[in-house]
Amino acid sequence: MAVKKGLFKTSVGRKNLMAFTGLFIIFFLVIHLIGNLILVIPNSFFPIEFWNNVANGHDMYNAYSHFLVHFWPVTIVAYILYVAIITHIIDALLITLQNKKSQGEKYIVTDNSTSSWYSRNMGILGTVIGVFLVIHMAQFWLQYKVLKVEHDLYELVLATLKTWWFVLVYEIGIIALGFHLVHGIESAHRSLGIYPKKIMNTIKYIALCFSLVMAILYAIIPIILYFK
Amino acid sequence: MKLTLKIWRQENAKSKGKMVTYKMSDLSEDMSFLEMLDVLNQSLAIKGERVIEFDHDCREGICGQCSLVINGQAHGPESHYTTCQTHLRSFKDGDTLFVEPFRANSFPVIRDLKVDRSSMDKIIQAGGYISSFTGMAPEANAIPIHHDIAESAFDSAACIGCGACVATCKNSSAALFVSAKISHLAKLPQGKVEREERVQWMVNAHDNEGFGSCSNTGACAMVCPQEVQLIDITRMNYEYNRAVCHSKE
Repeated sequence: MAVKKGLFKTSVGRKNLMAFTGLFIIFFLVIHLIGNLILVIPNSFFPIEFWNNVANGHDMYNAYSHFLVHFWPVTIVAYILYVAIITHIIDALLITLQNKKSQGEKYIVTDNSTSSWYSRNMGILGTVIGVFLVIHMAQFWLQYKVLKVEHDLYELVLATLKTWWFVLVYEIGIIALGFHLVHGIESAHRSLGIYPKKIMNTIKYIALCFSLVMAILYAIIPIILYFK
Repeated sequence: MKLTLKIWRQENAKSKGKMVTYKMSDLSEDMSFLEMLDVLNQSLAIKGERVIEFDHDCREGICGQCSLVINGQAHGPESHYTTCQTHLRSFKDGDTLFVEPFRANSFPVIRDLKVDRSSMDKIIQAGGYISSFTGMAPEANAIPIHHDIAESAFDSAACIGCGACVATCKNSSAALFVSAKISHLAKLPQGKVEREERVQWMVNAHDNEGFGSCSNTGACAMVCPQEVQLIDITRMNYEYNRAVCHSKE
């Protein structure tokens, strides 16, 4: 029988690719969150000018974003990230297409009590995140990094998040991300075959706590900025 | 007790099926679900109608031949049961039960509730065996195996190949079935000889038979009559990645 070699070719292999790209995107999400938190640092946190004319959150955030755009190793990682996100999406589509083909006729009665809704609907959650990502990147990434029409990113963020329905879009995207992470982190470890039972149970709880912390921290930032 | 059955009737693999309603009365709650179908079939035979075809064999919960999805649950409402071990006491008097065949593209319906699960046999043929001398059974203690490892291997070996995991999986993946065999043999010294080839052969056979990939929702392990654990799938993924990265030379 012809054996498909390689880490990424079979039904098991394609899930490896999802796991690797997913975990890399999570690494980025942590960095992105740290950057975002600068937005909500109160000005009283800066008693003196402590680094390179940075005396408040506004200056620090702009200095940080300027650094990200102009420091070349970050640019390389950014390109790896774009590839990871696109691979994650394409691989998900390929897997879903195969899975749809594998399904037989639909059941007349289905019972979903044996699994969580978010683990069954990773594709829908991913689509919500994808739509959110397009809106999000059109607002900031396109304006600031590509078109370079806006130079004060802090003001751009603040102005954008003064619209209530943009805040709502952000909250929806973040909630979807939170649920996507809860299942995604556990599933990624399972797909990569990290199997000792004790470790697997620990990963399950870490995934839950991590996703909760990430979602809450991401979610409060637009709300704080809206009322700022 | 009384039950209303809505049963999937389908002439053959090519024809379109539909649900047909049968009203049953004077049932004992001590009857097994399959005994109730026997009673129904007898009444159909007396009327001269074609009986409902369904899979069954040992009726002791050990052969893996019975199937059925009852109200959306593979093997009925009791967790970790086979259909033949499900009794009418699991239902309430006057209940309406929807009885459907196991559904997956790789499990074509033969007739009514009977499906062709030979795709699973092909996966086993691809690597679910060990190389061994033929002849007399070897001395049981010739190869020392730790008690815990033997027990753990047996937990995976307990798979009866009923296909409830496939029927339940939203992707119709047979990952739990494949991983049970791979885990069973990977744990034991006898299985180590073909360890790398086996997992690749079986995963490839699984894909070639048209099963989907695993989303780790865990639904399969919740319905498995033999309580095969989800961790076996994770172990299979480890074995697969190890085999791909590991070269014998």
